[in-house]
Amino acid sequence: MKDIVIIGGGPSGMAAAVRLAEKGYDVAIIERKEELGGILDQCIHDGFGTKIFGVALSGPEFAGEFIEQVQKLGIDVYLKTYVKSVEASGKVKEIITVSPDGVEIIKTKSIVYAIGCRERHQFEIKIGGTRPAGVYTAGMVQRLVNLYGILPGKNVVIVGGGDVGMIVARHLYLEGVDSILVVFPEEFFAGLPRNVQQCILDFGIPYRPRTVVKEIVGKDRVEGVILVQVDEKWNPISGTEEFYPCDAVILSVGLVPYTKKLTDIGAEIDPRTKGPIVNEFFETTVRGVFAAGNLVQIFDYVDDAVESAYLAAEGVEKYLRGEERLERPIFINPGENVRTLTPHRVEWKDERPITAFMRPAIEGKAWIIVRNERGEILEKSFRRYVRPSTLERIEISRDILENAEEVFIDVRGL
Amino acid sequence: MSEVYEFLCIRCPKGCRLKVMVEEGRVTVDGYECLEGKKYGEEEVKNPKRIVTSTVRILNAKYPRLPVRTAEPVPKDKILDVINALKGVVVKAPVKRGQVIIENVAETGVDVIAERDMECVEK
Ligand SMILES: Cc1cc2nc3c(=O)[nH]c(=O)nc-3n(C[C@H](O)[C@H](O)[C@H](O)COP(=O)(O)OP(=O)(O)OC[C@H]3O[C@@H](n4cnc5c(N)ncnc54)[C@H](O)[C@@H]3O)c2cc1C
Ligand code: SF4
Repeated sequence: MKDIVIIGGGPSGMAAAVRLAEKGYDVAIIERKEELGGILDQCIHDGFGTKIFGVALSGPEFAGEFIEQVQKLGIDVYLKTYVKSVEASGKVKEIITVSPDGVEIIKTKSIVYAIGCRERHQFEIKIGGTRPAGVYTAGMVQRLVNLYGILPGKNVVIVGGGDVGMIVARHLYLEGVDSILVVFPEEFFAGLPRNVQQCILDFGIPYRPRTVVKEIVGKDRVEGVILVQVDEKWNPISGTEEFYPCDAVILSVGLVPYTKKLTDIGAEIDPRTKGPIVNEFFETTVRGVFAAGNLVQIFDYVDDAVESAYLAAEGVEKYLRGEERLERPIFINPGENVRTLTPHRVEWKDERPITAFMRPAIEGKAWIIVRNERGEILEKSFRRYVRPSTLERIEISRDILENAEEVFIDVRGL
Repeated sequence: MSEVYEFLCIRCPKGCRLKVMVEEGRVTVDGYECLEGKKYGEEEVKNPKRIVTSTVRILNAKYPRLPVRTAEPVPKDKILDVINALKGVVVKAPVKRGQVIIENVAETGVDVIAERDMECVEK
């Protein structure tokens, strides 16, 4: 029997595996693809690892660093292996896997899920019209271009002004498509300013704010889209419809944690993050089952995803050693101007401060405040600049939580 | 005479707000959270540069394309020259991460390197 099985061999899964193997635990990684690395193999741009390695690496390079450590430590890796079902309620957990070698049952004392996220598609954002060939998600295009050298079309429309959309726009521009138009319903790009600068403005790629694709036109292949302008509430403005010819539509309309596997075993989900409810060591509501990385919430920064994995690794160790838990959990709730917040509760006895990740709902100078239900401020820290596109990492001291049943986190603008 | 510039560090998603002061040719940077940011701030006022990432054709490998990048940032106005220099380049697996694919690409003094290992697969 294994001490830990990690499901998902992306950066988060590998980070948790390495941490635990270094401490001498018997670890296995299960990955459905034919190699380790997760989505990083298609993210060939640079900007990964500034926190962990102190240099800006590309996605494959960042993954490569961890793959080397996994190999050096001799961690058991099951590739091309898909997790079919899991029995996680007991002390001994059973994972049923399917691979080209057949069906196998792997027994383990604990599990870390690190299976990442999926892309939202056109049905989720209500684009009308036909269903011709030539409609892609941004991730599919990244794979096509960066691994296979195939361009999706000559004249492309990119739907969505987030980071993934902008990065894909730059790649397509440099790889030589004839025209690109980026449209999004917000007033300005929703992604990080760095990407607006280095992906869009550096090359003068055209974009239209307050614009959405109403309909995709084309019988067998995409022949164009019907664009429409929208108001601040994203409602279409009548009379602004326009036919725009193109041969590919690329959707970059958000990522969602891939939680089906977790709900299957009865783990509870947070409607805000759309990921599992976790405690301060990223343990789900199923004992001995942990979650890390983009499965918990979308981390736009791989270094933060890896940190969540290290925290999960600490938790696994506490679980395997049978360390003591608090008599009852202390809840950490999102307060004013907080879009998402993890972890959701504190459950373990420990001295270390609690690391939390929070997405603010406002932009500008701000205080981040931890308060109790009576509104008394327990702790605060200053931020020179917060914005919704940047996840904030905060530390909460343990001693301020003593006697509290729940605390709230606020972001207060200055 | 001193001048102050403000911009966002683009070296990683954190996007620190940098304040760069130029005083009699001396450049000081404020607001960075890691040394990449200090370097970026200095360069952005002197000579704006970018890392260029792309792919080249690779034979006998798992995928037909190998991701590559400039080992160091190159001047912004050289980006397209670098991309053009990569067109038509064909390499053969195996390749090791960090291996030089093109030396001194587009006369920038910077090499283009492989971003990952690519094993040779017999088809
Ligand atoms: C386009 C794009 C650009 C980005 N740019 C940056 C950047 O510049 N800098 C930065 O720091 N971060 C960036 N990120 C974020 C970073 O890539 C993520 O934070 C990180 O990849 C998350 O890692 P993960 O291990 O949680 O998930 P993933 O990398 O998605 O890994 C999950 C793994 O689980 C496997 N899996 C799924 N289901 C199963 C199953 N049932 N059985 C077995 N295995 C399974 C998958 O195959 C995959 O390998 C970017 C992300 C995207 C999409
Ligand atoms: S200064 Fe460092 S941490 Fe801040 S954005 Fe630049 S690279 Fe990232």
